[in-house]
Amino acid sequence: MSSSTTGKAGVIKAADDAGSMDKLTHTVLDDLLYNIVHDLLIKVHRDEKIARAATAAIRVEKLASDASDSSLTTESRPDIKAETDAAVYDEGRTLLKGNPLETTKDILCPRCYLPRLLYPTDGKGARKPDPSIIYCKKHPYIDKPGYDIYGQTWVAQGPGRGKKKKDMEKKVETTPQDTPGATPTPEDGGGGKGGAASRPPNVLSFPSATCVKCKRCILVTRLNNHMGSCIGNSGRNASRAAAQKISNGSSNGNHNGSQGDGTPPNSQKGTPLPGSRASSPKKRDSDDVEDDDTDNDSHKKKKLKPSASNPPKKVILKTKGGSGSGLKKEKVKTSSLLSVEQKVDDDDAEGSTVEVAPKKKINKSASPAKKLKLGVSKPLLSSPGTTKNGKTAKSNGAGHGGGDDGESESSGTLSSPPVV
Amino acid sequence: MAARPATPASPKNVKIKSAVPGVPMFGCEHVQLLFSNSPDVMNSSIQYYKMLLRVIFDNTPIIPQTSKSPDNVVKTSLTSNYLCLQCSTIVSEEDRVKHGSKKSHRFYVDSRSGALYCQFCEDFVWDPTLEELRVRKIGTGSFSSRKRKHEELFSDSVKDDPRYISANTAPASCKADGLRGIYNAGATCYQNVVLQSFLHNPLLRNFYLGDGHPNGSCGQSYCLSCAMDDMFQEFYALENTNGYTASSILSGFWISEKKAFENLVTTKEQDAHEFFQFLAEELHERNGDGEKPENGSEHSCDCVIHQSFYGKLQRSTTCQNCSGVTSAVESFLDLSLGLDTLAQKRGKKASKGVSLTLQECLDEEYIKSDKCEYRCRSCDSMQQARRDNSIKLLPNVLSIQLKRFEFKQGSRDKSASKIDTPVHFPLTLNMLPYTTRGRSTDTRETIELGRSCIYDLMSVVVHVGEIDTGHYVSYCRVGDQWFAFNDHRVELATKSEVLSAKAYLLFYIIRSLS
Repeated sequence: MSSSTTGKAGVIKAADDAGSMDKLTHTVLDDLLYNIVHDLLIKVHRDEKIARAATAAIRVEKLASDASDSSLTTESRPDIKAETDAAVYDEGRTLLKGNPLETTKDILCPRCYLPRLLYPTDGKGARKPDPSIIYCKKHPYIDKPGYDIYGQTWVAQGPGRGKKKKDMEKKVETTPQDTPGATPTPEDGGGGKGGAASRPPNVLSFPSATCVKCKRCILVTRLNNHMGSCIGNSGRNASRAAAQKISNGSSNGNHNGSQGDGTPPNSQKGTPLPGSRASSPKKRDSDDVEDDDTDNDSHKKKKLKPSASNPPKKVILKTKGGSGSGLKKEKVKTSSLLSVEQKVDDDDAEGSTVEVAPKKKINKSASPAKKLKLGVSKPLLSSPGTTKNGKTAKSNGAGHGGGDDGESESSGTLSSPPVV
Repeated sequence: MAARPATPASPKNVKIKSAVPGVPMFGCEHVQLLFSNSPDVMNSSIQYYKMLLRVIFDNTPIIPQTSKSPDNVVKTSLTSNYLCLQCSTIVSEEDRVKHGSKKSHRFYVDSRSGALYCQFCEDFVWDPTLEELRVRKIGTGSFSSRKRKHEELFSDSVKDDPRYISANTAPASCKADGLRGIYNAGATCYQNVVLQSFLHNPLLRNFYLGDGHPNGSCGQSYCLSCAMDDMFQEFYALENTNGYTASSILSGFWISEKKAFENLVTTKEQDAHEFFQFLAEELHERNGDGEKPENGSEHSCDCVIHQSFYGKLQRSTTCQNCSGVTSAVESFLDLSLGLDTLAQKRGKKASKGVSLTLQECLDEEYIKSDKCEYRCRSCDSMQQARRDNSIKLLPNVLSIQLKRFEFKQGSRDKSASKIDTPVHFPLTLNMLPYTTRGRSTDTRETIELGRSCIYDLMSVVVHVGEIDTGHYVSYCRVGDQWFAFNDHRVELATKSEVLSAKAYLLFYIIRSLS
């Protein structure tokens, strides 16, 4: 043994004049290397050969079933004999002919019987697939920097979503990848127009999801924060922290509706919803349904855009109603006027009301049952709404509606950085 | 033709696998000839193949690795030998052809893998019947599939799964392979990594895809288990390749009333390990016997979480005076391994390039014993005692947390810092040395026992960044391919990438199941 300078692989060689221990070591190492390669190879060989054998079987069984179909009913299968280069189908049994590695060159998917694409379509080791062949949908995974295994890439997260100004500029400069359709807010929709169209198909944007509690459509990246303020209970650190940060804890509204008065509308984002929920769950429910609908098909711009100009009402209204004393709808309405005015004043400081409001608006208008009431409230509210818009714009410094988005969101997002 | 011959002679279940559409009956024409020869030949061939597999896998490898050449030179080799299927000869690769032409024996078994080699084909042959035996032998160490206690519980659903799907639904697309990212809903990457490791856990996957949790009839509102069910459906039944929005999980998480995890439910970045515990407890409550798992108790139940993750730990205390042993058994969800002391010890020896191995950490915790004072009942006084921890029952999925944080001594306020010491972890982990049985048994049994303690790495959770802020990414294995999950991004990963990661959580799955 020690007389040879190398093992089976013949790769790790000792010098001819090396000592016997030296030679032995080299031999052992070389054998181990051989074993490693052998094991890897046998694994690949196994997978490949089994897949090819299955392919041969599928082919011949297909042939047999075709034959039986054309001749008689399907019951006559056992009598059918079919044969291909790779296999025989006889008496209900499928038998191989020869080595499937030689007789069968491609692989059929054992589930859908379509040929498997054997090379990735992009990235490392990519080959162009034959366009005339319908392949199985399971493709080899793509290995390409910047792309995922399906060859998809993503909208880069906007530079600091809290920054309204930059965000806006970006959008205007038609950087389509910058969260188009991401926020279902009217402002965003307006800004991101055409984004979806100019985006290549494999670039995905961040979707929105519906909050189970308030049924609003929330951009996924903000979902956690939203739920924190929407569902978050008192006693949770989050709400406490939030309560401290913004002097109105969203949790307050949620838990004891009576405290709602102490919930100044600075952070419109979270506050109105829990409040409203607490006050009149039934009403909410009906809203919820519509909300769902509207939000879902209007993820992007169009539907929401017109609503941008619409003034806020129900939300605020509800907050007040809820916080006040659980008034009935009519009463709420009247009180809402007050509340809105109040809000407008408060808003000037924060300039964040707008985003929430338009959404609620949609619901209302969409709900036939409440049209009447709306009819009343609409004109009344519209003027404060517009002024609000104007004001927020000012406060943003950027003349665009998008600013509102950023700002209003930021009230919710403040506590934690967007990217984790 | 002996397709499925009735073999009354043999009570044992030696029969060729029945015809399955899409799979040939035999590995090659020559195996077919051998098996079709007569029921006796087939029977004895299969029995002999089983015997050879036992020789290969149940004993020391020295026997199959030793061969005798025709000129009576006995040689033990590191590389594969070939065990003749038709006689008791073991030949080296070089002598195989010679033996074949002399005795006209054409089938050989590889001495390292148990694979069948056909001399006619001059190739390895993967016969469905024999291959099933081999895979089972490697996996469970036995030819029957009921070796492991819990396996039945899960293999049932495995078997039912394809039938269930084809009978009741349109088959899931070939594209739906469970590989999707999960969007970060704002500092939720700690959830995403745990969810991904659950998604690629075969036990949980089979449980949920096998309709383990009755989503439709679950009355619980905002049930996290229903949310998990939905998520599994989304991942394994739909063609979507974009990220998944785990909104139902998230809302279930927010709505959950768990007192113990109150601090976890915030919009802030959190500890993935804590979330793992939270999710495990929550899912246990939804699926289990309704009892709350108490920490440290010997609680066990039949729920999927307990069957997957929970093992039992034995803590025994030996009095140094009277040698009396008191032991307590408690169930555990995961093993938490401290790095600080070990890292410090190492740090003294070598100032830079400190690295540990997972086995060293396990040694520290479950092999080495420590001393303590305790009140011995028989001596009725305070005595020095030795404490030993060992694992009494290994879980099917072993989760290991590497405690990558330490609290600076002296300072009461939370000044935790992160330990960045790399810990090398293996793809295959043998837990035998850390088990209660592994301590006591002699080497004769250990090959058999050791096989049931082999774990394969399933997923790795990595934390990057500082202790209080950072990002979680994870690696999961699907088949033999590793994937890197970074929120909604899914990329291919190499083994070396995975192994060089600074792991925080490790999930190992028992080999007999994977």
